[in-house]
Amino acid sequence: MIRARWWGPFFGIGLALVVTSVALALGGYDVGEAFAALWRGAFGSEQAIASFTLKRSVPLLLTGLAVALAFRAGIWNIGAEGQLYAGAVAGFTVGLIGGGLPSFVLIPLVLLASLLAGAAWAALPTIMKLKGGTNEVITTLLLNFVAINLTAWLVQGALQEPRGVYNESAPLPESAHLPILWGETDLHVGFALAVVLAVGLWVVFRFTRAGFLVRAIGEGPAAARITGQVRSNRVTAGVFLASGALAGLAGAVQVAGVDLKLYESLSPGWGYTAIAVALLARLNPLGVVLTAVFFGALQAGAAGMQRAAGVPFAWVNVIEAIAVLGVLIAAREKAAA
Amino acid sequence: MIEALLQAATPTGAGWAAFVEAGVRLGIPLVLAALGEMVSERAGVLNIGLEGSIIAGALGGALGALATGSAGVGVVAGGAAGVLVGLAFAIPVVWLNTDQIITGTAVTLLGLGGTAAIYSSRFGATGTQLTLPTLEPIAIPLLSGIPVLGPAFFDLAPTAYLTFALAPLLAWFLFRTEWGLEVRAVGEDPDAAAAAGLPVRRLRLAAALFGTLLAGLAGAHLALAYAGTFAENMSAGRGFIAIAVVVLGRWRPWAVLFAGLFFGAASALQFLLQTLGWDVGYQLFLALPYILTLAALGGWIGRSRAPAALGLPWPRRH
Amino acid sequence: MTGSPDVPVRIRGLRRTFGSVVALDDARLEVRSGEVHALVGENGAGKTTLLSILAGHLTPDSGTIEIDSAAIPDRGWTTREAWDRGVGMVHQHFALVPRLTGLENLSLGVRRARAGWALPTGWIRERVEAIREETGLDVDLRTPVEQLSVGERQRLEIMKVLLRDPRILVLDEPTAVLAPSEVDGLLTLLRRLAGEGRAVLLVAHKLDEVLRVADRITVLRNGHTVLEEERRKVTARSVAEAMVGDAQALDAPERTAVEPGEIRARWLGRDDGADLELRAGEIVGVAGVEGNGQRALARALAGRQLPDDGRVHLPDGIAYIPQDRGHEGLIGSFDLTENVALGHHADPAVRGGPGRLFLRWNALTARTREMIHTFGIRTSGSRATAASLSGGNQQRLVVARELHGRPELVVAENPTRGLDVAGARFVHDQLRRLRGSDDAPAIVLVSTDLEEVLALSDRICTIVRGRLTEVPADERTREGVGARMLEAGE
Repeated sequence: MIRARWWGPFFGIGLALVVTSVALALGGYDVGEAFAALWRGAFGSEQAIASFTLKRSVPLLLTGLAVALAFRAGIWNIGAEGQLYAGAVAGFTVGLIGGGLPSFVLIPLVLLASLLAGAAWAALPTIMKLKGGTNEVITTLLLNFVAINLTAWLVQGALQEPRGVYNESAPLPESAHLPILWGETDLHVGFALAVVLAVGLWVVFRFTRAGFLVRAIGEGPAAARITGQVRSNRVTAGVFLASGALAGLAGAVQVAGVDLKLYESLSPGWGYTAIAVALLARLNPLGVVLTAVFFGALQAGAAGMQRAAGVPFAWVNVIEAIAVLGVLIAAREKAAA
Repeated sequence: MIEALLQAATPTGAGWAAFVEAGVRLGIPLVLAALGEMVSERAGVLNIGLEGSIIAGALGGALGALATGSAGVGVVAGGAAGVLVGLAFAIPVVWLNTDQIITGTAVTLLGLGGTAAIYSSRFGATGTQLTLPTLEPIAIPLLSGIPVLGPAFFDLAPTAYLTFALAPLLAWFLFRTEWGLEVRAVGEDPDAAAAAGLPVRRLRLAAALFGTLLAGLAGAHLALAYAGTFAENMSAGRGFIAIAVVVLGRWRPWAVLFAGLFFGAASALQFLLQTLGWDVGYQLFLALPYILTLAALGGWIGRSRAPAALGLPWPRRH
Repeated sequence: MTGSPDVPVRIRGLRRTFGSVVALDDARLEVRSGEVHALVGENGAGKTTLLSILAGHLTPDSGTIEIDSAAIPDRGWTTREAWDRGVGMVHQHFALVPRLTGLENLSLGVRRARAGWALPTGWIRERVEAIREETGLDVDLRTPVEQLSVGERQRLEIMKVLLRDPRILVLDEPTAVLAPSEVDGLLTLLRRLAGEGRAVLLVAHKLDEVLRVADRITVLRNGHTVLEEERRKVTARSVAEAMVGDAQALDAPERTAVEPGEIRARWLGRDDGADLELRAGEIVGVAGVEGNGQRALARALAGRQLPDDGRVHLPDGIAYIPQDRGHEGLIGSFDLTENVALGHHADPAVRGGPGRLFLRWNALTARTREMIHTFGIRTSGSRATAASLSGGNQQRLVVARELHGRPELVVAENPTRGLDVAGARFVHDQLRRLRGSDDAPAIVLVSTDLEEVLALSDRICTIVRGRLTEVPADERTREGVGARMLEAGE
């Protein structure tokens, strides 16, 4: 399992910032202005913090938790993207059908549907892994594409908006909308839910027997089986499905909290970015909150950075990538020593 | 985005001819990238950062062609760009033993973000497309006259012909040469290979970089032959799809060729369906190749076995 | 004194330590051309270390190794250099790539010995045919190795080495994996190869086979050479005696006679093997050469896996000290408390909260601290990682953890492997203490170390190819048990 040094993430982020500064300077940009704009865009105002930074962090938080959970148990779940789509479709459909129900009934149903759908989407790779020893990296990756295409099929077909013009669905009934968490902003309760789940997951890992055994399987599978007498197949299956469920939840939360309808390409690759989020957090659920917010801040700030200092928005991905590479390399230093 | 490009590039004409022609056209970049990834995976290196090399190749190709006015130079530049990004993946993975999946994810982010950043800072987010010098298709005399198959297979850009030629070339290389044997040995059992005196890490590095070279060429082909322009994220997930193509093609060159064309055909199916008047459900056909690949993995269609040491770091701490 | 060309391998005064463990100490070996020379010794006698040095995987601390009268460089040498000097080694674990064919594996073996891109298939086929005519060695070239039997794979491995025409051929425990019928063929082959003028060095355990084929024998014990003699001048017994030797420095205190108590566990073995009854207050030792099924037996007795054949009746509360403490007993990246939790997580005393879902880390930490104190584990604290402990202290932790809570059965598998004298003594003291305590558990000690088994056990069994045989009381001596283990005739 990945055992990054504690200073790894800081090293990675520091490295990323240094590289960014150098690149910006070489590119003729005003470095100071750029970082100032980044900060303002992310944290400069109440709106910035809530409607941009935190709101954008939610899907990464949930998928990051999903990925961290799986990786902790030694399961390479690359399928968070597809599981997210599955959850989004299921959640939206339930919301659409149950439009007449009151919110306090409908919203939990929507979220529950997404959990089940996400888990179901992880079921096939789980079975193939446990019965056939098939590498889950490839199976989950393949199912991502299936999910995206199925969603596109639905959105352009059965779920398409009534006029049949745009590749998006009819609006989600109001009673399925997630309530706003913070005053006049766009920040919805999904954020609170995600944070609660993160804390819950942390508690599970730290204090419960089940969480301990999951960690054992991830860090020492042979010892877990022989000494711990853990039924590793059952635990693996449970974790894999739970991971899928969390990713599915991310999909529904996005649909019911932000998009308020089902778009064909609802995710710009959150399921993959989640891998970076999880690693930067050293697979620690509380850490995931921090790194997800960090990534959200980068996204929010980058828009501001582009407006104010002309720095391309896409540079954000480079920062994220360098941070991850920094952590990976830092982990290797330990092994060599 | 890519849909728009597709629409623009589709020729009119008889439905079937258009279908075959589009299928090959869509399949070629996939095959090229997949053949490279196949070699990499045969040595045990799973590169999900392939996407980063493809998009880098596209930008490199575009910049190279613009700078010199020659699409040929662009192709070379694209290949080089693919390798450059590939180094950011291969060196940590092979020499520092970092995890292949996570490193690959980071490199994909790096490639996508870096190319988009460079593009928009050089050319502004103005919305007008670049016009690039393109790789003109070369029609093979006589063969290109065959109905339906002719224009599809024998009137293509040079990089496409290269792609077709690579299948037999790599088949010969992998199965009939010493170096190919060494690559395969390293991917199956690196410990035994090391005991036989093979330079495991050097072989893995070379194989991985070869994969990124072909990915870069695929990207250059995308920009210079397929679309004639560059757009952010124009690789559109092809790096990941290439991995699926390798699996469906069971890590064998000819099968990878056909698998890639099959994926291309699935995408092209929408044209056929449109002509036939069926406008619904083409996305299901888009999903079909992936489902088939899953079935192949699960052993429901024949047996598909990955190189035994695929994805594993070496040397392993014991 | 330089060696004559008749003695291609000359090793003198070889010494190698690993930390405080002395693997080789003034080891000496001479192999002559045209002979089959057997190097024998128990597990841990130093054979593997010596071979590793000869092959170039390890460097010696001191001593000389001369190949054809030219010394190996001080820094040791690489595998390729060894090959170039005419040393061909056939390892116990074959260096064959399973999914490639025999021919492809042979090609790997001779890689780059010949120029060119294409595979040297023609050349290989010719050479294979020539060797087959000379020695009768027949290999399957077309089938993927993973489909070949063990004997066929070994022949392939030998052929791979022979393709390079080595002057010196070294084989590491070649008969260990062969069926009896295949052994004959191998021994005949070795004689033929020696007949061609090569020097054949055979490292082995099975004395009766060794004695059939060897011209001269060298016995290694505790890292030095205790016997170097021609075959016709020794008997199986004298060799076995040399291998197991005199009493060790480990003191074996007077064993108090103990009335064995109730039966705690039963092992109903195969039809041709013994049943095993494990009684409270009794230590049963299972001695055997590595690779004869001890691991499966130990795991089955510990309830960690189902027995291959036969059945087993086990009590609740089994303590298991696995052989591979680093991988199976402990998780290196976990701290000491977590490692204790690994064994104790089912114990209600450390669980709490609703539904007993939570682990009470306070209780576990306290328990760990107590263990550290009681068992004298040298560490910075309960928060230290298991990997930071020395081997001896790791084992103390494992023992402490397993013996907690009055188990009814204790299964110890090579519990002193890799430990120094003090560490080994600790483990033995613990086992003896347990044996003599009130409400003592049944103890089974599965070990490849004959000394250990003799020193601790009330009853002894030997295990050969998965088959258990009880050793009668009057044969419970070093020679008696040793001979049974080594199959030096019955």
